[in-house]
Amino acid sequence: MQQIPNRIGKRPRVQPHADFVEREDGFYLYLDMPGVEKEKLHLDIENDKLSVQAKSDFGLTSGERVHSMEFGEVEYFARFEVSELVDKQKVSAKFENGVLTIYLPKRKEAPPKRIKIEVL
Amino acid sequence: MVINYGSFYDFPHLFDKLMNDLHDPQPTATRRATFPPLYISEDDTSVFVRALLPGAAMEDVELIIEDNTLVLRGELKPVQGKYHQQERPTGSFQRLIKINVPIHKDGITATMKSGMLFVQLPKSTAMQPRTIHIQPR
Repeated sequence: MQQIPNRIGKRPRVQPHADFVEREDGFYLYLDMPGVEKEKLHLDIENDKLSVQAKSDFGLTSGERVHSMEFGEVEYFARFEVSELVDKQKVSAKFENGVLTIYLPKRKEAPPKRIKIEVL
Repeated sequence: MVINYGSFYDFPHLFDKLMNDLHDPQPTATRRATFPPLYISEDDTSVFVRALLPGAAMEDVELIIEDNTLVLRGELKPVQGKYHQQERPTGSFQRLIKINVPIHKDGITATMKSGMLFVQLPKSTAMQPRTIHIQPR
């Protein structure tokens, strides 16, 4: 064995499904994190790295007999690089219906440049 | 020199590979065939159905109980804007869950919390296990 498995017995670490959308006012990052409590969600922004970490809890009890299990409790983990275009001081986030929405506003100094086409 | 053609010749190597694969982060990008994923369980008094529906508001989900089938359907709307990356599922979905025990239909409760739908279907009282007291004669 090359490596001692230090994650054995721990819940699997998964990368949540992510949508990255651009609108006029900035960028929006949507992360599917069902089963997470808002208070237990860690969202850090350090330098250019944005990281999200949370554990899901579905209220599964050991007394239940399981018939079909298509999901289990996991640890969500994702890391993103934040672009230069983003104003990092104004980044905000909300958690609703199991989806974490991170709003990354565009920096004011770099307004979209419009190039005028002159008719010759 | 003896060449080993046995099926398990490569086994130690395969086993090491499996163990190493196990604790890498699991990519969830491989889209599951069925949506939403379900977790079905029961105890002595109820059947529990859990479904993962991140992004669905309560009015987006419809839950119908027919004879012995629970129908879960709805639609996930895409967000507005220009997509640079899309991994989250959108569109309409439907799943049928066959319940093989008689259900007390008026007692069904469904709750939604942080993207998880939780349906509790109480079993008919006739189906619940009952202790029979043995009386001395």
